Formats: sequence, C-alpha cells, structure tokens
Amino acid sequence: MKPEVILRSFGHLTQAAGVTISVSFAGIAIGFAIGALVCVAGLSRRAWLARFGAAYVSVFRGVPLLVQLLFMYYFLAEFGLDVPALAAAVGGLALSSAAYQAEILRGAFNALPRGQAEAAVALGYADSEIWRRILLPQALRISIPPLINEFILLLKASSLVSVVGIAELTRVSMNIASMTYRPLEAYVGGGLFYLAINLTLAGFGALAERRLAAGQPR
Amino acid sequence: MTSFDKVSITRREAVKTGLAAAAGSWGFFGATRFALAEDTLAEIKKRGELVAATEMQFPPFDISDNGVYKGVDRDLIDAVAKQMGVKVSYIDLPWTSVLPGLDAKKFDLCIAPVTITKERMKRYAFTVPIADATAALMKRADDKSIMKPEDIAGKTVGGQKGTSQVEQLKTFAAKLPKPVEVKEYVDNNQSYADLAAGRIDASVNSLPNLAYAASQRSDTFAMVLPPFGQPTYFSWVARLDDKSLVDAVNAAILKVEADGTMATIQKQWFGQTMDLPKTVPEPTI
Repeated sequence: MKPEVILRSFGHLTQAAGVTISVSFAGIAIGFAIGALVCVAGLSRRAWLARFGAAYVSVFRGVPLLVQLLFMYYFLAEFGLDVPALAAAVGGLALSSAAYQAEILRGAFNALPRGQAEAAVALGYADSEIWRRILLPQALRISIPPLINEFILLLKASSLVSVVGIAELTRVSMNIASMTYRPLEAYVGGGLFYLAINLTLAGFGALAERRLAAGQPR
Repeated sequence: MTSFDKVSITRREAVKTGLAAAAGSWGFFGATRFALAEDTLAEIKKRGELVAATEMQFPPFDISDNGVYKGVDRDLIDAVAKQMGVKVSYIDLPWTSVLPGLDAKKFDLCIAPVTITKERMKRYAFTVPIADATAALMKRADDKSIMKPEDIAGKTVGGQKGTSQVEQLKTFAAKLPKPVEVKEYVDNNQSYADLAAGRIDASVNSLPNLAYAASQRSDTFAMVLPPFGQPTYFSWVARLDDKSLVDAVNAAILKVEADGTMATIQKQWFGQTMDLPKTVPEPTI
C-alpha cells in the first residue's frame, strides 16, 4: 500500500468527484420533476393516465440503467439522433431515477389516511389548500428517508455513465489504477470520495427530517 | 370525492407544465443534432478537428496521467493530425464502448491499438500498423518455475476478454502437454492485479504493453521471453466505408515514419525502435 499514489492523484480525484456530484444531482433533480409527474399520473383517476404512470415505472425500473445509457447513446444514433454524452448520462440517470422516485412519492401519498382530505373538504378548505397545507407536507415528510436512500443509490449508480465517455469518479480511479499499476490505492482513494459525498448527503437528509418533524405530534 | 376530481384538473395543468419543463431541460443539455451522412474526411477538414476515441487505460499506448492524455497513440495522432492540417480532440471510452461508438458515428477514428485479425477486417477499415502486437507473457519477478512460454503448461494465465492475445493464448495452450487454465478479465489491469496477488501465474498481452508494465513495476513483474504468438500488429481503425479517411491517415503515418518522428516516439515509450510494415499486412490470425 502506497498512500502517496492517492495523494498524487488527489486533484484528479477531486475533479472527478465534482463530475460525479454534478451529473448525479442533475439526474436527481430532473428525476424528481419527472418522478413527481409520473406519481401524479399513477394516482390519477383517469385510467389512461394511471396506465401511463404504471407503464413508465415498469419500463424504467425494469431495464438496467447500463442498458438504458447504451441505448440512448448508441442506439438512438442509428436513427440519426446524436445525443451528446452529457445529455445521455444525465438523461439516463434522470429517467431511471424518476421511476423509483415516483413510486416513493406514490407510496407516501397512499400512506396518508383518506379521511384527512374528506374532513378538510367538510371543514370548507379549498382544494389547493388541502394539497398545499395538509397532504403535501405530510407526504414529503414520509418520503424523505426513502428519497435520501434513492439519492445515495443513484450517486453510486452514476459510475455507469463512464460507458458514454464521462470521466466520473470510478472511471478516473480505473485510469489511475492502470497508469500506476496500483489498483488497491486507486480504488481506496475513489471509495473514500464516495463515502465522503454520501455521508454529507445522509447528513442533509437527517437535517431535513428534523426540520420537517417540527410540529409533528409524538 | 368531488374535490379529487377538481384536483385532477390541476394535475392536468401540472402535467402540461412538467412536460414543457422536461422538453426545456432536454434542449439545454441537448444541442441534439442529427448526424449528416457526409464523407468523414471532408467533414473533419471542414470543422478543422479530428475526433478520436480510445480507452485511456492501456499503457504505454493510452494513459490518463492526472487527467492529461499521454502515450504512444497521443504522440502519434498529434503528429498525424499535424500532417493532415487539423486539430485533434480525444474521447476516453471503456474498450467495450469504443467499436460500438465508432459504428454509431460518435467520433471519426478509433486510436486504440487494435490487433489486425481476419474477423475484424470484415467489419472495420484498418490503417497501416502503428506498433507490434505480438502476444507475450509476463510472470511474477520471483517465479522461477516459468522461464520460457511453454512452462505455463498446467498453470493459470489471465488476460483481457475479447482480445486477440487471449485467443492466441488458447491456440498456443492447446499444443502444450498439460492444459492451461485461462482466466478472462474485463481489462488487463485486473489480470495484472491478480498476477501480483498470486491468483494467476502469468498474464497474456501484447509485447509492448507487458514490457512497459514490467519496467514500471520491476520489483513485481518480469517478462517471459521470447513472445509466443504469431507476429501481429496494432493498427487504428475507421468505419469500413471511410476509405478516404484511412488513405489520408495512412499517408500521414508513413510521412511520420519517414521523418523520424515515429522512431522518437518509439524510443520514448518502448525504449527501442522497431520496423513496421508500410502496408496493412495480411492477418495471420
């Protein structure tokens, strides 16, 4: 074990960690937006919308992310649609994560007792208020732990985007391993960066949970 | 329950807004363009840039040194592009993505060293050779039981899956008195790591790759000489219909060989010079 291999590559690993973080966060954010829509579609009483939501989740949760990335980057090019590497990477992460996030949100809404909305109607609350002040805050609180879980999973899954030529953390660790012929040091270095990022993410999750728990009866 | 019906109207609005937002973000990352069916060489000249791809994990040919692309291929493609009067940009892809990426027109030329084989010549257009690719073996420096290639009989040898060197190893091993167990890895570096760890007894790869690895970690690795394989060569590859591009690259490589640049590059990375065929040789494997 030669720790100087890690130290010498520190700048390069930091830069790659930046790529991992930005690609993952873009994927998470866009994935949340799409996921929220898919969730709303899935909860809809309109049959075609509900079917669309279910179909989306089946496809994007059922096909491995690696295959989705390869499909977007290489297969679409066969039809003359040249998707740039960054778009394929972020798009792949977002579309796949959206399926999981939609299910997390759907589960959270379903966990709310139906009677609450009915009682609110009886008390004369406006529909927008029922959503904004009663259903949404509670659903958000319920979904924080599984969402943080999903964010961490996605961040680690982002190592797959190297197949479209994005030099993220795992890829750069492999580059260092091949250049130095010291794989152990290179992967320990990369692993420490992942751990640091994910501990930070988990910390934010705990913070958000505490903030949202304010006013909740124990 | 009427409230839920009304809510679903707002939902529909939300779907509309969301779709617009998704389309917007796609455009932002997009610059999604439609590839034009044009002569690749003409297109390269027009944009003044040759887009080349390789896997930067193949020392001494392709190395990513703290994010800076280095190696034999880098020096050579720079010299070749100078002859062609264009700039070069480099893409780092895992080897399994390189040839599919070439087919999908994600770049113009694959500058990963590709061994010339009969099978591959049917699918891709090869340039003139850029280096020796003859298959050889590397062992642990302290292993006295392997002194010549034939000594691997009854032992375990590792190599990168899908490479011609592993295929050559299998052919070679079939003629030995005792069977050889061949372990195939995603890339050579895992095979080297297992060799260092004692899980396998030798690694197979091309002579220049192994010689470089052995020189970089001479405390751990040593060469098993002479190389056991048929003489084979590395070339770069283009799409089969890009004949004009291959001709232009070939002319540039031959000029780089004639003016001594090739010899300088070889001295720097292999520690010695080697003569290469001036035309694409008939594949022996």
